[in-house]
Amino acid sequence: MPEPRLISSYLDVLAAQLPASIVEELGDGLAETHRSYLRQGLAPDLAARSAVAEFGDPELIVAGFARVNPARRAARRLLGVGPAVGACWVAALVTSRAWAVPLPARMLAGLVLAAVIALLATSALGTRYRLAARTGAMGLFGIIALDASLITGVALAGVPLTWVLGLAMAASAARICYAARALRPALAR
Amino acid sequence: MIEALRQSTGGRLDLPTGTIYPALRRLEQAGLITGSWSVVGGRRRREYRLTPAGDRALSGRRADWRDFSAMVTAALEGGPCPNPA
Repeated sequence: MPEPRLISSYLDVLAAQLPASIVEELGDGLAETHRSYLRQGLAPDLAARSAVAEFGDPELIVAGFARVNPARRAARRLLGVGPAVGACWVAALVTSRAWAVPLPARMLAGLVLAAVIALLATSALGTRYRLAARTGAMGLFGIIALDASLITGVALAGVPLTWVLGLAMAASAARICYAARALRPALAR
Repeated sequence: MIEALRQSTGGRLDLPTGTIYPALRRLEQAGLITGSWSVVGGRRRREYRLTPAGDRALSGRRADWRDFSAMVTAALEGGPCPNPA
């Protein structure tokens, strides 16, 4: 039996914002609801209208999935631990007197950090699934690049290893591991 | 599931069916349910089952809710407050 136009239009709205596997699951549920109304004796059009009404506003469904998006969850966690990791690095660089980095490098690091925070915040607060997933994944890549650059930078510069610096490097390494593990579900379709 | 909720509450708990899917995803991420695909009538269908952790969480939440409900009922009606199980 062909899918009523109202139901296919409803699924098109969802497909524009959600991954195919989620839309497939919703489509099966919607078709089952439609069939249930047909079994109760409703005309096909009325059954389709009733099924769509029972499913609710598609934007609410999209917003619900955006809230459980793995990238969004990872972005929230990273934003939560960010200040602590940042404080470790500030303390490590100040106590190691390693601030004598050329101004352009400092400006570049600041810009990258601001961009990563903006991406993670967009993902963490986003109510649109794809936007939250994309910005979250980009933010995760950014965190990995930033932390890897910090660790490599202090190692190459020969900054003496203190316990504060060791703590900052360990925090960054842990954050790299977390971001790398979160990337797979974040990129899943 | 939504239909069962609707029927068991005499239609008073009438949630939009679509809202259950994000909730299922959240429970799956928390390890409380597990989902798998099957084919029913030529159409792929995702089915969910409680995990052992989900079973324990459900029992715990049921007991918590019954305790809470009994406590509020006792407070409103002035009866004895039952001891928690």
